[in-house]
Parts: sequence; C-alpha cells; structure tokens
Amino acid sequence: MRDPVRAVLGTRPDPRTVGPVTQTDIVRFAGAGGDFNPLHHDPAFAATAGFDRPIAMGQFTAGLLAAWLTDWCGVEHLRAYTVRFLAPLLIGDTVVLSGEVVSLEQTTPGSALAGLELSASREGTPVAAGTATVLVSGP
Amino acid sequence: MAGDLLGQTVDRVQFRVERGKVLELARATRATDPRHVDAGAATADGHPDSLATATHVVVAGHHRDQQAFVAALGLELRRIVVGSVSWSYERPLVVGDDLVGTRRVVGDETREGRRGTNRVVTLETDFVDATGAVAVRQREVLIERGTP
Repeated sequence: MRDPVRAVLGTRPDPRTVGPVTQTDIVRFAGAGGDFNPLHHDPAFAATAGFDRPIAMGQFTAGLLAAWLTDWCGVEHLRAYTVRFLAPLLIGDTVVLSGEVVSLEQTTPGSALAGLELSASREGTPVAAGTATVLVSGP
Repeated sequence: MAGDLLGQTVDRVQFRVERGKVLELARATRATDPRHVDAGAATADGHPDSLATATHVVVAGHHRDQQAFVAALGLELRRIVVGSVSWSYERPLVVGDDLVGTRRVVGDETREGRRGTNRVVTLETDFVDATGAVAVRQREVLIERGTP
C-alpha cells in the first residue's frame, strides 16, 4: 500500500491546469459516466436553458478536481470529498485545480487526517469549491 | 410538492466496477496515477485489482433513467442545476466490485433565490458491495431554479 503523502498545515500540492475545455472533453466524460442531459451537448437545448453554448456537467469539474487531488494523495487515502458548484464551466474555459491543507488531526503517531480546501478556478474566479479529508503522514 | 418525497427511494442501480469504465473515467478526468489503468501497478501495491477513480460511481448514470427520476421528483430538467456533490469513502473501489446503489430523498425544501423560489432536493446513495457493506456514500444537492 502506498504510504500516505507527507503534509503539514499550509501544504499546497502543485496546481494543475486543464483546458481550454472542448466539447469533446465534455462528450468524453458524458460517455464515460452516462450523463446524457442535452444541456451538455445540444446547443439548441442549452439555449432554452439560458446558455449560449453547452456547459460542462458539475461532475466533470468534480472529477478533474478529485483526480488532481488523488494523484497527489492516493485514492485509497481519501476519506471524504465535497464539491460545490459556483458557476458554469464553459467550452473554451481553462481551469486551474488547486488546494491547501487547512487542518490536521493526528490519528496515530505519524499519521493524521488532513482537511483541505480545494478550488477549480477560471481566470482567478472559482467555478467550484471543495473540501476533502485525506489520510496523510504527519509529524 | 416540497417535503412530500422525504425518505422515498428514487431508484436502485446494480453494476460492476468495470476495467474499461475505470480507464475511460481516468482519462476523462486526467488522472495520472497508473494504478487506475495498470492492474499490475495496483496489485504490486497490495490492492486486489486496479483502483477506480474517486468519483467512479458517477457511472450509475448509465443505469438510471434520468427523465424518469426527474419526472418522479416533479422537477423540470431544463431548470435543474447541481448545487453540490459529496462522497464519503469506507474503502477505495476496485475493478470487479459488484455494487448496488440505492438513492433516497433526504431533503426537499424551497428557498428564496435571486430569480424566484428555488426547490432544493437532496439525494443520498449508499453503494453497497457484495459483502453488504457500504463502500461509498454519495450525496447530491439538486436545485430547480425558480421562474421569475
């Protein structure tokens, strides 16, 4: 089993940049996950919902943010993960995935549960904000 | 009407965590951990098979009837946005896991929004493995945007 990653208060895993997001990216995720809401691939339907083009599903952003996080910490060490969607992610957007350890609770000597605040941002404005609880190696 | 559906089961899905789906979702979400796509890397690390990505249970979408559940909840598809999603994990999912996911209404209320009265429906799904244990629990908050 991969050892938990070392983390202290203030640890910021290297951010990841994804994009510009294409319709193909959204369709790829729709096909993988099974979300065939036409809001995500049909411009005419998206227009009836008030959008000038299809928008990505929240689960796409949540998936990108989770993949970035677990590439750092190991998916087997993830205990909880929450994402709130703040603004639609649009075709053409470039999204930056980042986060920071904001709490540490020692569980056993040498290991701790880290609380992270997470963000998926477009040009500095968050489209999604999240939190995660991750088992880490601590002091 | 808001509140009437509390506690009701919305739908139940049954599926296996498939190798191909794990690969597709790893690619679609840009996951780079080789243990998602290389069974050898996962087993060498002590796991029974390749590890699914953290949000793998989204594949339940393939087994659900979106139009039907939206209609059952009395919601209008074009006005729904997902407010938030959360997951809690008892263990990582691995290829070969057989899961049953039962989705229930755990919240149904109205809230005043900028564009009128929004309806906020919270759904919780327990994904139970072949031993009967919950492996992953997912909670979704759906917002039906109000009309002005």
